Amino acid sequence: MKPSRFEYFSPTSATEAVEILVKYQGAARLLAGGQSLVPLLNFRVITPAALIDLNRCHSLDGIRRDGASLVLGTMVRQSAAETSEIVRTCCPLITTAMPFLGPSTVRNRGTIGGSLAHADRVAELPAVAVALGAIMVAEGPNGRREISADEFFVGDLTTSLTADEMLREVRFPVCSEGQRFAFVEATNRHHDLALVGVALKLVLKASRCEYVAIAAVGIGPKPTRLLASERCLVGNKLDAAAVRTAAALSIEGIEFESEPHTPAGYRRHVLPTLVERALMEAGSSSEESGR
Amino acid sequence: MPQRHKIELTVNGKKLQRHVEPRLLLCDFLRYELRLTGTHVGCAHGVCGACTVLFNGSTARSCLTFAVQADGAVIETVESLAARGPLSPIQRAFYEHHALQCGFCTPGFLMSTRELLTHHPDPSEETVRMALRGHICRCTGYVNIVRAVRAAARKLREEGLGRDSEP
Amino acid sequence: MTANPNSSDDGIIGRPLPRKEDDPLLRGLGVFTDDIPEPPGTLHAVFVMSTRAHARIVGVNVADAAQAEGVVAVYTGKDFLGRIRPVTSDIPQPGYQPVNRTVLAIDRVRFVGEAVAVVIAENRYLAEDAAELVGVDYEELPSVITVDQATRSDAPKLHDETSSNVLFHASYKTENAEGVFVSADHIVRDTFQSHRLAVLALESRGCLAVYQRRNDSLTLWTSTQIPHIVRTAIANLLDWDETRLRVVAPDVGGGFGCKASVYPEELITSFLARELDAPVKWICDRREDLMTTTQGREYRFDVALAFRSDGTLLGAKARIDCNIGAYPTYPLGASVEAGGAAIYLPGSYRMPEYAYETRAITTTTCPSCVYRGVGAPVAAWATEVLMDRAARDLGLDPAEIRRKNVLVPSNLPYTNAVGMRYGSGSFDTCLERALAAADYAGFRQAQTADRLRDGKLHGIGIANVIEHTGQGTLRYRQRGIVYVPGFDGAQVKVEPNGRAIAWVSQCTQGQGHLTAFAQIVAHELGIGFDDVTVVEGDTAFGTYGTGTFASRGAVIAGGATLRASNRVADKIRRIAGHVLKVNARDIKLADGRAYVSGVSEASISIREVAAIAHSMHVHALPEGDSFGLEATEYYDPAVAPTSNATHVAQVSIDPGTGLVTVVKYVVAHDCGRVINPLIVEGQIHGGVVQGISSVLSEAMRYDETGQPITVSLLDYLVGTAADAPDITVLHEESWSTDTAGGGFKGVGEGGVIGALPAIANAVADALAPFGAKINRLPLLPHSIVALMENSAPAGGEAKAPAR
Repeated sequence: MKPSRFEYFSPTSATEAVEILVKYQGAARLLAGGQSLVPLLNFRVITPAALIDLNRCHSLDGIRRDGASLVLGTMVRQSAAETSEIVRTCCPLITTAMPFLGPSTVRNRGTIGGSLAHADRVAELPAVAVALGAIMVAEGPNGRREISADEFFVGDLTTSLTADEMLREVRFPVCSEGQRFAFVEATNRHHDLALVGVALKLVLKASRCEYVAIAAVGIGPKPTRLLASERCLVGNKLDAAAVRTAAALSIEGIEFESEPHTPAGYRRHVLPTLVERALMEAGSSSEESGR
Repeated sequence: MPQRHKIELTVNGKKLQRHVEPRLLLCDFLRYELRLTGTHVGCAHGVCGACTVLFNGSTARSCLTFAVQADGAVIETVESLAARGPLSPIQRAFYEHHALQCGFCTPGFLMSTRELLTHHPDPSEETVRMALRGHICRCTGYVNIVRAVRAAARKLREEGLGRDSEP
Repeated sequence: MTANPNSSDDGIIGRPLPRKEDDPLLRGLGVFTDDIPEPPGTLHAVFVMSTRAHARIVGVNVADAAQAEGVVAVYTGKDFLGRIRPVTSDIPQPGYQPVNRTVLAIDRVRFVGEAVAVVIAENRYLAEDAAELVGVDYEELPSVITVDQATRSDAPKLHDETSSNVLFHASYKTENAEGVFVSADHIVRDTFQSHRLAVLALESRGCLAVYQRRNDSLTLWTSTQIPHIVRTAIANLLDWDETRLRVVAPDVGGGFGCKASVYPEELITSFLARELDAPVKWICDRREDLMTTTQGREYRFDVALAFRSDGTLLGAKARIDCNIGAYPTYPLGASVEAGGAAIYLPGSYRMPEYAYETRAITTTTCPSCVYRGVGAPVAAWATEVLMDRAARDLGLDPAEIRRKNVLVPSNLPYTNAVGMRYGSGSFDTCLERALAAADYAGFRQAQTADRLRDGKLHGIGIANVIEHTGQGTLRYRQRGIVYVPGFDGAQVKVEPNGRAIAWVSQCTQGQGHLTAFAQIVAHELGIGFDDVTVVEGDTAFGTYGTGTFASRGAVIAGGATLRASNRVADKIRRIAGHVLKVNARDIKLADGRAYVSGVSEASISIREVAAIAHSMHVHALPEGDSFGLEATEYYDPAVAPTSNATHVAQVSIDPGTGLVTVVKYVVAHDCGRVINPLIVEGQIHGGVVQGISSVLSEAMRYDETGQPITVSLLDYLVGTAADAPDITVLHEESWSTDTAGGGFKGVGEGGVIGALPAIANAVADALAPFGAKINRLPLLPHSIVALMENSAPAGGEAKAPAR
């Protein structure tokens, strides 16, 4: 399990990185934290001609507030995001979701952008990005473009980034008063890789649901908004009955597929459970998010 | 011939310089080039934790890192815990609690324990189990490892060793 | 702890001493096979593995690979014909069909992963690059994955030299085995299916073969449990002189049975080191390990238990099919799993009648051999689950039905239905102690019909199990396994400085032999624990032997060490007696001195005695004694001692997700005379957690074409510290009746044997409202959810799963 040969570059800016991407015309891969990519290299599942190491692009590891956006550079370490006060006050769902990404050793090296760009179908950050309506900022040879989270995730391990683009930063909307969040997962072992995960953003006004976004991963090739559940909640009182109804509706319109390790029936069974738990968690949290 | 990259790094306090092929994994560099064989390779895909080292002060899986990425880095391996002297408090606790059997996973556990106790000087059993879930052990069933870690935490607190001291 | 008439005075044996092994391991100074400094010029081997489960090899093209950078040579199976004999597992037992396996596949491949060629290059990276250039033309043949597929009338016959795919079958019945099922008041039966497991030692296999041209000798460093058996196999299969062969197991990172076979890689690297006159190294990576290292425990058990209406167990019937994969292994052969499962079914209960039929079936999957506990964990799972069901059917509590049937002191010595003798044991005591420590009565009292508490389903499960340990030559001959010697030996030597060294023929992989056996030597010789060194795993030192597997360490190596130490102690006493002018009988050894019994001032240090023995003192030796202070002894128990245990597990199940949490785990255990309680507890902890992991998450899976689909640890799920419980261990000590061997019994596998049934019963108890039958492993969350949705409870509708 040794990787095949590759050329190695460690640019110090996104511009430089993009230049190399362009030069290799799709035969190069970007290396961020390496926690997802290097196993694929060691198994020789992928054999890129070149590896572009982003770990020296220090301009890409910033956490900052920019007006109504929390901006995380693509190379922000997951552990840094977890302990950041700015992240916690601006976007607590990210803070909540971080421990689910894996043990601390993985989060020490793993990055926000790396996880999003890798787009594993059971990764947590894509669910968070879709639930919050994050904007991905891509950089290519023709400059930057903004891609909504909904459009960013195309399929398992596939994003809408072109071969000569890289994810440069992610903009999350800064949360406001009355917003509540939750993240829950179903796993095969305790605190393990997700089988199904649910990220939730909820706005309550006097026990009435004003807004809700529920994004699930693991139930399809990309993160999915549970629109039927969302629709039945908005405008209504969030009580136990409403939660149960929303949970039951979560499976509507979803084609659950069996895969070698987990039958379709399981994901169909567990999704409503997770939706219910996420709603209870967000609905009962005594601390609403502040500024 | 593949292009070799020059790296300058500090390993267990020693500065050194080498030329490495890009695809050389950090674990292989440490083990074969530097003969620091205490860091073990159990899976080469980032699950078992046997290859855990400190990379610029935080734990990292050396099977998922390339040596070329360690240019300018400070690396610490299990060999740095006791150098030539007595066992460190964490190692001592593992010894007293029979927290190792074959010893293959042990270096990885020691490095992660060090990080855990630096941030959580008084971890509950649940916290320890959660924190060490990135390591596989097939011999001990984790029972004595968890007991050893909590004993080490107690000992470090009793001896008033602060966060700056070496656990 | 029960009083024991054979109890020795308080000495080093029995003390929870921290281990001698630990210091270097903690410092990262362990030397595992991949850590051995590579001699200059070491070449690296990479095997080209079959991508097909069953295919004819039409051609192998190595031209491109041979030209690749850094490549020294590429070999195929034909290159070794006539130079390395095929490995044959021939077990002279009725119903057994031997099979030959060439070290590389030549005409046919029979499992994905079977090696077809080997690339030798300057380093591993380049060897892997070159291996990708080897082209193999396959003509696919139909594959058979399961025992049913392999035994269909139209199934392809996998081995030319056999008449079918059933490589072994055996049956047995006691006189009235059929009768009790006719006359029984109540019968419970079910078919139990356990999934294939990867043994997964954390250090995967590997070897380094170093050839010395000057005297045509070879040293093979290999991560093995059986160095002597490997050495003899190399000598036989390569036609080499055994006296010029040395096999060394350095530090070994776990074995659990997967390193108790001789592997093709060991033969090939040895052969090529001599052929190329260069050291040859091969390290198995994790992917290869999951595809080629022997796996275990894929069984189907049809079991029935017969009862009287008062819950008395009358007898058992079992039909067992075992999927042993593409090739039987050497030396344990095709019958070890199938035969073992059948004979290990009778356990801790009075069970007068028993009948079994068992088969070992070859399929196009990875070879399967022994994995900790072998068939016993699955046999115990089946019988213990059926005990619980019988209890419920007959209106008894599961503890009650066990109390009714468990062996009690007046039954001992007990010969079970397959003729195995339990000389001693504490079956009933362990049952009561475990139930009490787990507060079983309290749990039952608080338990509700719906099993719910705090939104989770809670259950408790009991398992009474035995472990057959320390099997010697007789047992292996009875089982037809002729290539396992069955004995082990120890050479104990006291040096002129009065310190001792013991060379033991076994081979530890973490079981603490270097500590436990040092305790024995120190105890017998009356010297300090720190003054004893134990060396194992090297065929150049000490006696021939068998190796370390099947819980034989304490019993056989411990027994040999004890006997050798006793002979040395006798000599010390003779020399001391001679100097102090008393009878040797009146000499006691303690604290590094030889005392006249009752006269503490009259003594001589053992160091002085050693000097006398080496003629470095004014005193001469007693008449009849010659120089030196050492002895070599073997040990071969006439009867394999039986350990016993009761496990009680408590689980909680999240009904919404199906995730099972082990909340509490208690083991009351009896492995005879304990040498080191820390080590015993460690073995139990480790076994239990391996068992829990195999019930709740581990499974080797193949797709319908025979492709393994769990070839990484992301798919093959091993339990972590977050999944494992804390474990309480209570000790009982019923010494083995063969006290000449020290009274020790084995302990290595008991943890696994008890964990499968205990967890299965706890889960069944938690899912009682759903009438779930636990007859399939593993129990992943989706399995639990399926049980909740699909089971039919006795006398009621299946309840909708609670959230």
